[in-house]
Amino acid sequence: MLTGRPVHAAAAGRPGRVAVARRAAAGALALTLAACSGPQSALDPAGDAAEAIAGLFWVLLAGAAVIWALVIGAAVFALRFKTRPISERAGLRLVLWGGAVVPTLILSVLLVYGLRLMPLLRDPAAELRVEVVGEQFWWRVTYRPEGGPAVVSANEVRVPVGARVEFSLDAADVIHSFWIPALGGKVDMIPGRSNRLALRATRTGTFRGVCAEFCGPAHTRMAFPVVVMEPEAFRAWLAEQAREASPAGNETFLANGCGGCHAVRGTPATGTIGPDLTHLASRLSLGADLLPNDAASRARFVAEVDTLKPGARMPGFGMLPPAEAAAIADYLGSLE
Amino acid sequence: MKGLDRRLRLRHLAYGLAGLALAGGLVAWAGLVNIGASSGHWSVTNVALHWVMRNAVRTYALLEPAPPAGLDEAARVRRAAGHFEAACVFCHGAPERPSPLLAARMTPPPPPLTHVAEHWGARELFRIVRHGVKYTGMPAWIALGREDEVWDMVAFLKALPAMDDAAYRRAALGPQGPEPTADTALAGCVRCHGRDGGSDGGAFPVLAGQSEAYLAASLAAFASGRRASGVMQFAVDGLEEAELARLARYYAGLPGLGEAPPAAETASPATATAAPGTGGGGGPAAGPGAWGLEIIARGLPAEGVPACAGCHGPSSARNPAYPRLGGQDAAYLANQLRLMKAEARGGGPYQRVMQVIAGRLPEQATDADAAAYAGRPAGPAPAARPD
Repeated sequence: MLTGRPVHAAAAGRPGRVAVARRAAAGALALTLAACSGPQSALDPAGDAAEAIAGLFWVLLAGAAVIWALVIGAAVFALRFKTRPISERAGLRLVLWGGAVVPTLILSVLLVYGLRLMPLLRDPAAELRVEVVGEQFWWRVTYRPEGGPAVVSANEVRVPVGARVEFSLDAADVIHSFWIPALGGKVDMIPGRSNRLALRATRTGTFRGVCAEFCGPAHTRMAFPVVVMEPEAFRAWLAEQAREASPAGNETFLANGCGGCHAVRGTPATGTIGPDLTHLASRLSLGADLLPNDAASRARFVAEVDTLKPGARMPGFGMLPPAEAAAIADYLGSLE
Repeated sequence: MKGLDRRLRLRHLAYGLAGLALAGGLVAWAGLVNIGASSGHWSVTNVALHWVMRNAVRTYALLEPAPPAGLDEAARVRRAAGHFEAACVFCHGAPERPSPLLAARMTPPPPPLTHVAEHWGARELFRIVRHGVKYTGMPAWIALGREDEVWDMVAFLKALPAMDDAAYRRAALGPQGPEPTADTALAGCVRCHGRDGGSDGGAFPVLAGQSEAYLAASLAAFASGRRASGVMQFAVDGLEEAELARLARYYAGLPGLGEAPPAAETASPATATAAPGTGGGGGPAAGPGAWGLEIIARGLPAEGVPACAGCHGPSSARNPAYPRLGGQDAAYLANQLRLMKAEARGGGPYQRVMQVIAGRLPEQATDADAAAYAGRPAGPAPAARPD
């Protein structure tokens, strides 16, 4: 995955070839291992489904290593040490056992071991239901807490730690795929049907989910932050998200027709085509985890969305006079 | 012996051809070719050039689109006649008028067009009007992508044989005839848009009462070529910025267009402002009038079309760069939506917003939507939404 180019060779006083190779190998290993942790790694699990998947991965890896060693060992033995040919009968028996019976047994055991994890995907006893709809190129997120009102949000998923959460996954236009590697496996979002995925986070933190099925020009710019919170903090956050926004300062936003596509609950902006913006400023990132959520990025996103996210449905508003662009960015910043 | 003969003959032929080319080059280099228009073509040149031109038009017309429906509509003839009076009469003249003196001194002289439709088919006329003719002075249409405008001109040319002077004046100058005005820039507008900025029976967009900022941006876009129109780009060519601003102010100041469709102003507020998904409406089955109003109030969220009223609706604080559409001519609106969909319109700095939305508007919704803003029903209800 990495080329071991000795870029610092001169600075280090011309080390020998072996030293360079060793240093490159160490660097490559460090970078490879670095990918094993972080907010978007299936090998650094923060949910029980991800733990099961990581366990499955390590078991498969260990099993594969053993089989690889046996096969290579047999080959080396045959080439180096066993110089007398075996009989045809013995050869046929070797092919039958080593090539058919043993692999079938091993694969069957692994299949059962893998299938055993599938019931984890569904959970009728979930404590919280969250609907996520994949759209080009963002996520429509609706929380449906027991006995509470539905709360609409977008481009961010928050869940309480330790609780079983069932996601209902749909697609509005083309096939997307919902994957939070740190919490569990990926499930496709297919237009016309609802897929289910149950997840339980085991530790708090901020992780990252992605669209894992090519869905168009801005597919790689369709991700979302995932925040695992203490149950009490989650309840408070959800109650805050259910609150309507104040219309103060929304004149320019409405005058330019933004409300035709975007909803800001509690104001005349009731559009349902684009993401709900009622609490935009409270989110961790902008544009489906594309930009940091700060004032400059909010202004930039409104002006350049068509180049930031090629193929997105929103036209760029770079033609707005600076004062109006600033007024809209300020208003978006006020939507805490 | 035989091979040597052939070689000799071929060599002589090559010498002959080279000599001819050299002689021709010498004549041209010495400046002996008379390119003066005063003497006209030799008749053999004339016959040859016309033969080539007629053949080329006939063949290339096959590449042009088939004529649209309603090619004989009076509105088409009226639209093109105003432009003909401004742009074409100088060379081609008009019915019952003496043929233009200066243009007659061109070689070849531009023909009168009174009977041109009897010699050419609609597609051939379309080919000539759209692409012009090389070596004759006949220019191409300024906006090649505006096929609708070229078809208007073809409709006019087909109506021309039946026109006398009075009929031509009615078509080219409007029902009131020429209106005396000291304002030369406005005189150019008035030929089509009248002093009242009305649609003159569906031929033109209603300008009266339009947002001044929108009119000014549109004129500036025509002047810079960012909005495509063979008619309007020609009309504003050479006008100063200050004049364009004055014209925008004049038409914006007239009583006319409103913020909302006329029918919605009388409809109950609950229907017009209901939130998405709260019932009401009922798609195309509700009838074209009701469906159009529904699109205006709620859009077509499943298609990604926002409510038109979000930008073109009643609000005192609307961005003035967005045009007012209440009472606008339905045929004009539908045509503009289709041009945007085909990305053939262009426009001011905000046009990209509408182009994106128009691209998602289903074909049948286009007419319903336009008619609802105009305030009249748009023919029979479509059976179902096209998917």
